[in-house]
Amino acid sequence: MENIKIKVNGNEVEVSPGKTVLQVLKDLGIHVPVLCHYEPLMPQGSCRLCVVEDRGVLKTACTTPVEPNMDIKTDTPNVINSRKLVLQLLFSERNHYCMYCEVTGECELQDLGYEFGLDHFEFPTYERRFPVDNTHDFIMMDHNRCVLCRRCVRVCSEVAGHFVLGEMERGIDTMIIADMDVPLGNSSCVSCGLCAQVCPTGAIIDKRSSYLGREVQSEIIYSNCDMCPVGCGMEIYKKQGANFIVKIYGDWNSDVSHGLLCKVGRYLSLYDEKDRVVGIKLKDDFGYRRLHEDNLIEIFKNKLNNAVAYVDGSLFNEEIEMIKEIFKDKVYSLYPNNSPIPTNINLSELDNKEFYVVINADLNREYGAVGSIVKRNVIGKKAKLMVIDKEFNSLAKIADYVFNIKDPNLAMDILKKQKEVVVIYKDITEEEKNLLSSLNNAKFLHLPKETNSIGLQKYDIKHEKVEAENVFIFGKNLEGIKDLPIQNSFVVVFTPYEDEVLRRADLIVGITNGFEREGSFYNLEGKKLKKEKVLKPDFDVLDLKSFLSTVLGKTEKVF
Amino acid sequence: MGKIKVASVWCEGCSGCHMSFLDMDERLVELINKGLEINATPITDLKIPDEGTDIGIIEGAVATDHHEEEVKMMRERCKIIVALGDCAVFGGIPTMRNYIPREELLERGYITTESTVDGKIPTSPEIGKHLPKTKAVNEVIKVDLYVPGCPPSADAIYYVLKEVLEGRIPKLEGELLKYE
Repeated sequence: MENIKIKVNGNEVEVSPGKTVLQVLKDLGIHVPVLCHYEPLMPQGSCRLCVVEDRGVLKTACTTPVEPNMDIKTDTPNVINSRKLVLQLLFSERNHYCMYCEVTGECELQDLGYEFGLDHFEFPTYERRFPVDNTHDFIMMDHNRCVLCRRCVRVCSEVAGHFVLGEMERGIDTMIIADMDVPLGNSSCVSCGLCAQVCPTGAIIDKRSSYLGREVQSEIIYSNCDMCPVGCGMEIYKKQGANFIVKIYGDWNSDVSHGLLCKVGRYLSLYDEKDRVVGIKLKDDFGYRRLHEDNLIEIFKNKLNNAVAYVDGSLFNEEIEMIKEIFKDKVYSLYPNNSPIPTNINLSELDNKEFYVVINADLNREYGAVGSIVKRNVIGKKAKLMVIDKEFNSLAKIADYVFNIKDPNLAMDILKKQKEVVVIYKDITEEEKNLLSSLNNAKFLHLPKETNSIGLQKYDIKHEKVEAENVFIFGKNLEGIKDLPIQNSFVVVFTPYEDEVLRRADLIVGITNGFEREGSFYNLEGKKLKKEKVLKPDFDVLDLKSFLSTVLGKTEKVF
Repeated sequence: MGKIKVASVWCEGCSGCHMSFLDMDERLVELINKGLEINATPITDLKIPDEGTDIGIIEGAVATDHHEEEVKMMRERCKIIVALGDCAVFGGIPTMRNYIPREELLERGYITTESTVDGKIPTSPEIGKHLPKTKAVNEVIKVDLYVPGCPPSADAIYYVLKEVLEGRIPKLEGELLKYE
């Protein structure tokens, strides 16, 4: 389309049609205050702080598309006074007194107050008392702070796809509610936390990060979540000069998750309460005794003859590479890691499809980002959803078709009739694999069980049970040890968490975990992602990567 | 340049703003040398400002009938009224009580607290009676200048007084304008 000519503050400019006035002004470097507007969300023009004058009429810049012959003025007294009045009204409606509030210092409303030199309230305030909803495990909602920008409502539906938040009543009586006005903690909220991330004021706050520090006091580290194979992009706020994380935000610029993050990545990764293995413990006749790091390398090297290694999918590529270098072809995975049908769609292409099939995975509980993409298309864009599961699946209530896995033929008949289907599956049997493979209108997305399952595939590590004199086990999930033929072997386990099965081990080494370690992994699309090291370990633990490179003689010191 | 008389009063606040006033340190001497004359203040322990005082500084919100009288007297006797600090400007922390009925609040404070034995709500006429609602000063009288902050920095107070002494109307901006 041809460019159109408009005037901005008296200067003629050429702009491409289809843009909003706000986008044009932003491109020109003209500052426009906004409150309800938030880049990834649909603009709605409700706060009216972005008003500009066009041929004598005030218009909201965020929702007005540019059209020929516009004469935009951004700094007339009419514009400035209107914005100031709106701001005064916003400050007076509910309780926006900063000294009570958790987000003071990084509040968008407060910043606007400073920008406009607002030094007092012009209208009577504190007239009404609003409820505070503290029922949720991770999020607190203080309606007294709400400016009704509806960013939370929009992000909950448009981006996260959960459609939990909404509004009730009208005008100044409007309340943000969860479901049919139930406490947030009892609602269908899946705790993805996006609402708290986008809230401009202290109305929705993350309880754990409260009072831990401001964004300006934090160092921002961009990383990828390694809690599941999706690998969402994270913005980690680490307190400067301290060894703790203030909060984790979803990274809007991530080409994997585009801002999405689920409960596991945003909150549970910070609440790691499992018992850790501390130090190096060697079993002798009297039980376990602590061993010094220097002795570990010696024992490790002595036991390498007639040895095999087992790894799980929590290991990073660098660690797998070095284990392969040490144990050559004697490396096996603790769990099956193959994808029955190879993945041929990536997460960015998952949007705007017409028919989704979810097999054996409750996407509200696991792979949350994938769940968000499916839900926003199914609920928001009326795509069809088929759920096939042998157990309870919370997606079933929004599905068009629900099948028990015992009878796949009926489901297949429906799928064959569709133009295109996206099959998102976790565990399937050989028979189901053959049935699904016969679909020629399908794209497949396999949900691997472990973070780096795809990495194990790429390094060609097979799931096998092999007997050997010395057995080395590396990983986080040790359930699989029970099935290994290790009755007569010397067993060495490198793991972060204490576990019942560790009693079987002869040598136990505590290793770094979570934000204490760095490395790369392949996510479910096969993208190589990087996990950054953020924290120093609080325990006496060994970094597996550094240890292995010391064994290989690549670096001098272990610690 | 003639003398400029300043009076101040301390209503429902924590005195932090007066501390911040004293925190001007040697700059206070500079202001006095320029003609600032400190009249009735909590610092001088004088209660009634002179008629025709130039600047009346009010710290704290208006919470009792005594405060109401005090700020009205300030308005009558002073040419320029300065609301100093968040409580005077916005109502501040003392407005927390606005969401709880007065009687319930007094009962909780004086009688039902866990550590109180044989409590009694004080009724002496020397103590002001709570208004139904704690208010910012501008809800009771006309205010000419606002200096928010909890407390406002000594720099902000110094800037405001200096500007007034030199015959200008101060406008707080940037680092001097703070709500916390």
